[in-house]
Amino acid sequence: MNEIPVGSSATIVGYTIHNAFTERLREFGLIEGTIIKLLRKAPWNGPIEVQYGHSQIVLRPDELTNIQVKRMM
Amino acid sequence: MSDELPQNPSLIALVGSPNCGKSTIFNALTGLRQKIANFPGVTVEPKTGTVKLSGETSVTLIDLPGIYSATPKTPDEELTISVLKGTHANITQPNAAIFVVEGTNIEKSLFLYAQYAKLAVPTIVVVTMIDAIKGSGGVLDDIELERQLGVPVIGVVGHRGIGLDEIREYLECGDFQPPLLADNQVFTGKSTIEDQHLWAREVAREVARLPEMDSFTRRFDAVLLHPVVGPLVFLLVMLIFFQSIFTWATPLMDGIEAGFTGLRGYVEGIVPAGIVQSFLSKGMIAGVGAVVVFLPQIIILTLFISLLEDFGYLSRAAFLVDRIMGVFGLQGRSFVPLLGSFACAIPGIMSARIIPSEKDRLTTILIAPLMTCSARLPVYILLITAFVPNSLVWGFLSLQGFVLMGLYIIAALSGLVIGKIFKSTLFKGSKLPFLMELPPYRFPAAQNVFLTAFNRTKAFLTSAGTTILFLSIILWAMAEFPRFEAPQNASTADIERLQLEHSALGMIGTTIQPVFAPLGFDWKVTIGVLSSFAARETFVSVMGQMYSVDVSENNESLRVVLQRSITLPAALSIIAFYVYALQCMSTIAIIKRETGSWKYPAFAFAYTLLLAYGAALATYHVGLLLTS
Repeated sequence: MNEIPVGSSATIVGYTIHNAFTERLREFGLIEGTIIKLLRKAPWNGPIEVQYGHSQIVLRPDELTNIQVKRMM
Repeated sequence: MSDELPQNPSLIALVGSPNCGKSTIFNALTGLRQKIANFPGVTVEPKTGTVKLSGETSVTLIDLPGIYSATPKTPDEELTISVLKGTHANITQPNAAIFVVEGTNIEKSLFLYAQYAKLAVPTIVVVTMIDAIKGSGGVLDDIELERQLGVPVIGVVGHRGIGLDEIREYLECGDFQPPLLADNQVFTGKSTIEDQHLWAREVAREVARLPEMDSFTRRFDAVLLHPVVGPLVFLLVMLIFFQSIFTWATPLMDGIEAGFTGLRGYVEGIVPAGIVQSFLSKGMIAGVGAVVVFLPQIIILTLFISLLEDFGYLSRAAFLVDRIMGVFGLQGRSFVPLLGSFACAIPGIMSARIIPSEKDRLTTILIAPLMTCSARLPVYILLITAFVPNSLVWGFLSLQGFVLMGLYIIAALSGLVIGKIFKSTLFKGSKLPFLMELPPYRFPAAQNVFLTAFNRTKAFLTSAGTTILFLSIILWAMAEFPRFEAPQNASTADIERLQLEHSALGMIGTTIQPVFAPLGFDWKVTIGVLSSFAARETFVSVMGQMYSVDVSENNESLRVVLQRSITLPAALSIIAFYVYALQCMSTIAIIKRETGSWKYPAFAFAYTLLLAYGAALATYHVGLLLTS
């Protein structure tokens, strides 16, 4: 997920690992099929802002590696 | 017959996700009739408040920490879930609950509702911010929502008072219903997170039509989170923030100090000299003054922070600085409490409540005392003006100012490095990495902001204030006992000096002086350092007493005396000691209050003392080498 460019959208396909954190992400609504939009990145590899539905959340880039997405054209 | 009537429930919980508008409803219903519940062993303290109903009746409302699901992942969530299940050791199970649905994000709240329903608590649902839905062209079908959830649904606008009477009616008649979902056939077999979300999405689509994304929020974020403009605005906000607690609070604090000095003078005028006068003036009044003097900074800082928090800027600021704080193992939210600690660690530590992660909060609290607070300034100024030449660097920078700035930077960097060490040892591994919501921007409601400031101030006065007063009186007693009979012809300054030298504090100072000898402290400096464990700025007045010069006029004479009596390496060593040592009982008291145990203040005191000793030792010996 940390490979998609700013401003583009993607669909969540799944997770590579399962732990308390990925469970929390799923509780937040980042489940299979959720369409997310990468709104912006903070400078110097800082956190990333993601929008989906009526939610906006912030994550650190290294925490995104476990979320698998399919980029939408 | 009475069995058939619904019981008037007496303890009602407020449940909802963080940022859902729960506290606005709590404040609107309870007003000033709230208290921060002080349950033993609970660091996250749920607030309770009384809601007056018709006649003499009232119910107690408990504002439980926000949750994201029924599977707790933080101490806050554990508290909420255990209270709702009735398994919490100290808090009784509520009879019923008000479940708060965030009007601007119904799907998210309904997912939580699906999880919450299994707890089978009698419930009414309150949808907040219905004005925001309608204002932006959205629609909410609360009758359909009521049908889907099987419990009463009320739409409210908390800060405008809309819908509150309806909530009060339910509180009065007690007509709360257990959620249908628990055994609803629609829901049978749908127990996965995914199924619950799909259900929430479907219901949200049926009952509400919300605008895509708050356009106000989108436009504000385009500026406030802009890669260039964003950090500039952030710096400006922090500058105002810093100015307000540092500069604007100073006249108020000076006024309070002048008032207490005047009061002491008045008491000394009417009470004859002696132990009673000393107790009233130096013990009681000085002790109360030591508490009250913090109020301007605490009030300004809490007003400022709750304003930023309610507006939604605090999480944006955390987004902007998270990268920098991440280098030191902390998260963006630690920035504001640490910055505030430069004025005073007390409000800084209190504001650490904005950090959701318990481990980050504790780390931040433990390193906050290392940020150079304003109480260190008098000590620095005295020693720097006495020992650092008043010359210019590169022709325009004052060397003294340069050294002062260096002390601020060294302290801040030390704090961040130590924070990194704590995070990778003591508070290692968090169940949850960084994950933060950016709530939509909202216009802060005055009632919320003022109640937050009021509650924090009250908590400081009742809890930390009493400890500070108690400790001041103990320190006063140690400086006044045992009594010493000064010769008849001694001057007032001499009497005070002789009393201090022969007091318990003075004796301790002379006894343990050998411990401080490697730092270059003589017994006079040792007493000065010891007595400033109450408050750092005491050092200046105690040194004044020790060297029997009048410090109230100006520091000139004391400075000259110090230049003669203390060597340069010893002076630098004292400065190094003050950079690190936690010599402030008010900070100790507030750490105890905010962490709920003496463990953390004891640890903070011990590690800073060790650090201070080490730094002073190194400074002294390097200084000796360089000057020899």
